[in-house]
Amino acid sequence: MATKSTKKLTPVSKLLDGLIAGGKLQAYTPEKKPLKPVWDKLICARCALCSLYCPDAAISRQEDGYFEADLDLCKSCGICHRECWFGAISMQEVE
Amino acid sequence: MDTYSLFAGQFLPFTERYLPGGHNACAGSGTALALRHVYKALEEKNVDFAKASWDETPAGIFAPHEAPGAPVLVLPKPDESSLYICFDAESAPKKIKTEHFAKKNPAKAAASGCLYVATASPSHPFDLIEKVRRGWSVAGSAYIHILCPCPSDWGFDAENTVRIGRMAVEARVFPLYEIAEGHYNITVEDKNPRTVADYIHRQDRFSTWKKNTIAALQQQTDDSYAQLKNNAAHEIN
Repeated sequence: MATKSTKKLTPVSKLLDGLIAGGKLQAYTPEKKPLKPVWDKLICARCALCSLYCPDAAISRQEDGYFEADLDLCKSCGICHRECWFGAISMQEVE
Repeated sequence: MDTYSLFAGQFLPFTERYLPGGHNACAGSGTALALRHVYKALEEKNVDFAKASWDETPAGIFAPHEAPGAPVLVLPKPDESSLYICFDAESAPKKIKTEHFAKKNPAKAAASGCLYVATASPSHPFDLIEKVRRGWSVAGSAYIHILCPCPSDWGFDAENTVRIGRMAVEARVFPLYEIAEGHYNITVEDKNPRTVADYIHRQDRFSTWKKNTIAALQQQTDDSYAQLKNNAAHEIN
């Protein structure tokens, strides 16, 4: 004799809620906006520590000697912001 | 790291020759950071990375239960010996125990005939790069054990990866040393070490640990460090 399952499954339509709009699959947008590192050039000493500690090799030296992150590679982990000795890097929301 | 070595990063090569643009490691992954430093160290050494292979801790040389499932990068040298680099993320199958912190692989590698054996951490990048270069240039097999903090597995924020690695060194849970031809040498030493509890309470993986377990780990850390000091003192004199 099969017992009746008391656990209710969530309907698929509810799982896809927000992903499908107007019959088309939308790109997944997380609630939290990603952050990007921004350098304060008045404080930055160009010591290259941020570029050394970046796990994704996203930070590279620019022509003027200061550093900038390639936002295609950056995963906004915040290691550069945490490890900067001078506090020159702040994490700001991507517009 | 002292104040003067702060600017030493400028003398390292800025080209990322071997790291592909945009790998799929997690944000703040210690393994990716350590691998990047290894590649940076070997950039000017004419290494044939086509012959490099990934292996799970080779059971013939090392005890596989010491770092279960830890990937080992095997770089063959021109003289038919190899450079083994173990990326240890301390991934425990069920529950982390105090035995996971007794790193016996370096001593075993030295006993099994590796001429250069070292431990390294990506939180001390210049130390790591120097050790990898030495391991490559020595005439014989070399083994380097790297502790890679893992934010998702250990349970801390991704921005603290380097801090946790540095804390492991400062608390002497993972002392940085090298064994060159049987001679022990402690490369990074703090006179005022952190307590193990200080290192532990920042990570979620220790949330089930009781006070007596922490005390046991402190005792084990002190003992193994005293043993290491003893080894270092004996070999020099």
